[in-house]
Amino acid sequence: MSKGINVAGLAHQFRARGGAVPALDRIDLEIEPGELVTLAGPSGCGKTTLLRMIAGFVAPSQGSIVVGGTPVRGPGPDRGVVFQQPTLYPWLDVRRNVALGPRLRGIGKAERLGIADRYLALVGLADAADRRPYELSGGMQQRAQIARVLAGDPEVVLMDEPYGALDALTRERLQNELLTLWRETGKTILFITHSVDEAVFLGSRVLVMSPRPGRIVLDEQVPFSSDASLAPDEVRALPAFAETTARVRVAIAH
Amino acid sequence: MSTTHVQTTTHGVRRWAGLAVSLGVLVAVWWLVAAADLVEPGYLTPTPKEVWDAFVRANTYHPIGGGVDRVVRGEEHYFLWEHLLVSLRRIGLGLLLGAAVGVPLGLVMGTVRWVGDLVGPYVDFLRSLPPLAYIGFLVAWFGIYDTSKVWLLVLAAFPPITLATINGVRGVREDQLNAARSLGASGLQLTTQVVLPAALPDILSGLRVAVGFAWTTVVAAELVNGLPGIGGLAYLSGTQNKIALSVACILVIGLTAIALDAVIRTIERLVVPWRGKA
Ligand SMILES: Nc1ncnc2c1ncn2[C@@H]1O[C@H](COP(=O)(O)OP(=O)(O)OP(=O)(O)O)[C@@H](O)[C@H]1O
Ligand SMILES: [Mg+2]
Repeated sequence: MSKGINVAGLAHQFRARGGAVPALDRIDLEIEPGELVTLAGPSGCGKTTLLRMIAGFVAPSQGSIVVGGTPVRGPGPDRGVVFQQPTLYPWLDVRRNVALGPRLRGIGKAERLGIADRYLALVGLADAADRRPYELSGGMQQRAQIARVLAGDPEVVLMDEPYGALDALTRERLQNELLTLWRETGKTILFITHSVDEAVFLGSRVLVMSPRPGRIVLDEQVPFSSDASLAPDEVRALPAFAETTARVRVAIAH
Repeated sequence: MSTTHVQTTTHGVRRWAGLAVSLGVLVAVWWLVAAADLVEPGYLTPTPKEVWDAFVRANTYHPIGGGVDRVVRGEEHYFLWEHLLVSLRRIGLGLLLGAAVGVPLGLVMGTVRWVGDLVGPYVDFLRSLPPLAYIGFLVAWFGIYDTSKVWLLVLAAFPPITLATINGVRGVREDQLNAARSLGASGLQLTTQVVLPAALPDILSGLRVAVGFAWTTVVAAELVNGLPGIGGLAYLSGTQNKIALSVACILVIGLTAIALDAVIRTIERLVVPWRGKA
């Protein structure tokens, strides 16, 4: 079961020295349950801010956010968050980090460690399960964080540039895995990225935000990721892929 | 990896060698000064040998001397190590109770803003008082026996532990809390699963400070009815002109304090291996 996201009239100003800094400006956004929406935009345009508001970490200055029919009042286990910077707990080994969600839900030890191992295998970290997070590379930490969020089994997954720190190969592998997972589970995913290629390749719908204060300036359905019959290389070779990529590029540059 | 290991080892060897040499020089100088009898009367400057003898006497049954044919047990009916153990027990009890008060208090004060604002000034007030200022008061309340001493140690130990805990709680990264909330952590789970372990390095630092406080305080507290107790023995032997014994006590106190600190640092390394890494 997945949930939709409904953002209406959202605007936000950060209070800073010398007055209010507008970060987001009149965002209206409807994300259907089971969509994989990618969000691109120049640095500092407010992507993270929008994501943190949907996650319930920050209350918006104006406007409303509704997830699965319930207004967002704070964080909750229905919305998993993959942070831009990995936030694993150094006092737990990687396996127990991943098992934290099930643990908080009261799932027994053997079962939750089993769940953790399954998701660690999925992100290719089975060998690192017994290590502490600070003994992992940045990319490995990010993969562990993704495993932790998936093990929490949220209806909505909010991902903030999760693959920014990864090498090209790992990145492509995880992109494919995300698609497989999305097709299998039908989770609603909001995926922020700097990479136009990634946005177009992954998204069933691509959003582009304007520079600060952020507004949504492009909102386009993209057919590629929903089609499981095409291999990644075939998708990227499609003329339509190049055309969409070009349109997104133009939208970001403006 | 291997080069750093080698470097650390040679560094360690050099450090210990340096320490041994400086210690040798120190003892030699001490011996010379004591033997030269520069200070009158001579018992004021016991030689290392005399201090050692006093130390051994204090840990054994020995004749009382002075022509009297009687054997006594250690000093003041207790062996020196028993005096030390009694003081350590007081310190341990004081620290334990101090931590039992200080850690939860610090957690609440650091988490709930108005409690911190309300209680903070009192903890600061208590912390800035020298414990000796209120020992008379405690003796009046709890008598001259152990209860007042343990209370004194609790009062000396808990403010640094509380303040360190608050510091640790306030230093928890916002997103570490958010991550747990997004995984479904309740308020209590957040405290036990995230805030407490995240604050652990600071709590242990606070404990180290508290141990230092407790040592200074216990020796002072034992000035009044402090026997058995290593501080009491150090003081009493001094007033009775048993300077060699007094010096032996001082050395034992100092060495034990250093050993205790090393123990806590080892515990730190074992319990918070991530310190400075994450
Ligand atoms: N806590 C804050 N206080 C004040 N201003 C903030 C705060 N957080 C973000 N901002 C500002 O809001 C704007 C949007 O920030 P945000 O982090 O959402 O950008 P972003 O699109 O995620 O950028 P990037 O792609 O670099 O991660 C920026 O100009 C930033 O300086
Ligand atoms: Mg960002």
